[in-house]
Amino acid sequence: MIAGEWYDNGSAAAQEAALQTNPDSSYILQISGQQARSGNISDLQVSERLGNVPRKLTFEDGSVFSTRENDAIDELFKSHNKTSSFVHALESKVRFALLALLVTVAVVFAFFKWGLPAASHGIANALPQKTNQIIGANSLKFLDEFFFKESKIAVELQREIKEHFIKNVRPLEKDQTIKFTLHFRDWSTEEGQGIANALALPSGDIIVTDEFIRLSKNQNEIDSVLLHEMGHITNRHSLKLLVQSSIVTIVILMTVGDVSAVADLGVGLGSLLITTSYLREFESEADQYAFDHMLHANMDPIAFASIMDRLSSNQLSGENKPDNESEYKESKDTPTILDYLASHPRTIDRIEQAKRYSECFKQGLRVCEAK
Amino acid sequence: MQAFNFEGQGFEYFKIWIVNILLTIVTIGLYYPWAKVRTNRYFYANSMLENKNFEYHATGKQLFIGYLIAMVLLIAYTLLSEFFPLVGLALILVLFAALPWIIWRSLKFNMRVTSFSNVHFAFDGKLGGAYFVYLILPILVFLSIYALPIAAAVIVPMFSESGSGMGVIGGVLVFALVTGSIVLAFYMFGFLKKKTNEYFINGTRYGQGQFSAKLAVGPFVIISLKAVGLFLLMMIAYVVVIALLSFGSGLSSELLGAASNLENPEAISALFANKMVLVMIILLYLGFILVGVAAFAYSTARQRAYIYDNTKLDNKIDFASTLGAGRLMRIMVSNLLLIIITLGLATPWVKVRIARLYIENTQVDTSIGFDEYLTQRQQEQSSLGEQIGDAFDVDVGIGI
Repeated sequence: MIAGEWYDNGSAAAQEAALQTNPDSSYILQISGQQARSGNISDLQVSERLGNVPRKLTFEDGSVFSTRENDAIDELFKSHNKTSSFVHALESKVRFALLALLVTVAVVFAFFKWGLPAASHGIANALPQKTNQIIGANSLKFLDEFFFKESKIAVELQREIKEHFIKNVRPLEKDQTIKFTLHFRDWSTEEGQGIANALALPSGDIIVTDEFIRLSKNQNEIDSVLLHEMGHITNRHSLKLLVQSSIVTIVILMTVGDVSAVADLGVGLGSLLITTSYLREFESEADQYAFDHMLHANMDPIAFASIMDRLSSNQLSGENKPDNESEYKESKDTPTILDYLASHPRTIDRIEQAKRYSECFKQGLRVCEAK
Repeated sequence: MQAFNFEGQGFEYFKIWIVNILLTIVTIGLYYPWAKVRTNRYFYANSMLENKNFEYHATGKQLFIGYLIAMVLLIAYTLLSEFFPLVGLALILVLFAALPWIIWRSLKFNMRVTSFSNVHFAFDGKLGGAYFVYLILPILVFLSIYALPIAAAVIVPMFSESGSGMGVIGGVLVFALVTGSIVLAFYMFGFLKKKTNEYFINGTRYGQGQFSAKLAVGPFVIISLKAVGLFLLMMIAYVVVIALLSFGSGLSSELLGAASNLENPEAISALFANKMVLVMIILLYLGFILVGVAAFAYSTARQRAYIYDNTKLDNKIDFASTLGAGRLMRIMVSNLLLIIITLGLATPWVKVRIARLYIENTQVDTSIGFDEYLTQRQQEQSSLGEQIGDAFDVDVGIGI
């Protein structure tokens, strides 16, 4: 005897009812105030089990028997194969749930740790060089319109640096399909303070600002930064970032599309952390490229350390201050929580790395073991 | 009045949730529509009124086509906007124009596949109404909010060009403009709330029964005014408390010292090395979240109570919401903490808690009963176009 309620087809009125079954697969449904119904169990439609929500049996005429005796219904229909119990079997066992949890956590972790970088690396490298031209096509025009002004560096100096770049730096990259082009621009804050920076566009355009040229003390310093930018371009970092952020956006929207707004904060923070950690890896990779090629071209990588140091103190103070390395180092020695949100590795670490390569250089090595 | 009760349980739903996620991952997302069906079935079927429950009848197969289309659009949009921003923007505009149609089809679909006590709901609101409340009105509200800066951008240069300064007339004009635009923005917001809820409720049927809501703009305006006022007051009070705290701890002199010495990198680094500063920043941030949640909870609870009080089924069955702002705020904040602390693993408990809060604070007058209600024959889906729109399955509406 399975107790429940009976609803006529499409009606909200419930009648108390009880289902009785016989070994020969026939059933009798007793309905209070109604004639009893009978038939064969195999003619009944039964809803899939889900947790312990009431079960619905639908009769041929569309009327419905609703009951909370889920286990009795499972038992009854077991031999009739009317329910697909696979998903419920997974859901009802704690050990399956724990296993699912473990697998899920492992898959999610592996995806962000290895799958995503590998996928974006593969996709970015598989795309033709033309893709880089497309994404970089209007970037320089856009930057010229909104950020840059014409360079005030003397034309002769510009030509000198350019010729040196074409003759001595550009050939260091063996891949001849990338057209590296050097541009000079003035970039200033609204107060007229020059911004010292160098930028790489995926199209192969490298832009150096006047303030950067002004801050640099010798050709090696300029070359080290240009090589760093060439490293970004050769390793297709812009494209990788685009592919990565596309995948992250799609995955996040797919997985948390229906989570309530309270979790949005966590999701936003999570994707920020993921993206910035990739950015830091890109910077390190570009540094690495610069150091390797400098060793190869017989340049002392210490040049990168000195220009980085000067750039960072220039950024902090807003003016070119005399080197004050020891004090600066002390105050930045312990990593703060803000470092996890930084898009660049800590300057102090990058300088350390340059110094390590410089040691190799002084020993006359062409290859250096990175830490 | 009789309250609904919710019988879902955190751990029971956790098992369903984690299996859903696992199967979705294993099938590279293809299982998602079936996962969604199981989730909806669980929450609907556990919502009970006098031992009768809601049911969700959609099948994974029905949702699948729409899900595929939505995925293709999503991937296309993401790639286009990364590589060709202008094309991506154009696609967004097209989607924006299609959004009311999608919402309208989804409402029809979602109502048709929902039943309570064996009787199906239906939605027969008109498409034109959907365009009015989901496209035209939001644009008007947006314009009314930005009316002040736009007008100021036009008027202020007119006075500065004449060279005579602002003067009395200018001052009065600006004051009138500011007041006027604030009043307009609040009014438009209230109007949007009234129209959206009326469109949704008045278009909904239960069997042969017709829901009806008679709402006014005024109460929505008052609620949003109070919520904004509450937000500003709490914000000011909180900032004052934080300021006093930092004075008390001697931090303020350090802060002021650093502020007057911004050129000096060592002073700034030293400031950030001080743990108190980090604590203060985190406190400020948490405080802003709390204040935001409080204002949101207040307006949500009050609006809900007003809407339910003024909604009837067949002009005879009444509804009420007993959802309190304080209760909602406590649940939202503790849910947020749970999500953060467990890195999202508490999501099933969070969803059950919030569903229980909403459902158990919904009341219906059951003295008449629902025995007379019958499912009405509904137009079956006929064309592919309908199927696509049906299965887009956008969640809108006020929920129970």
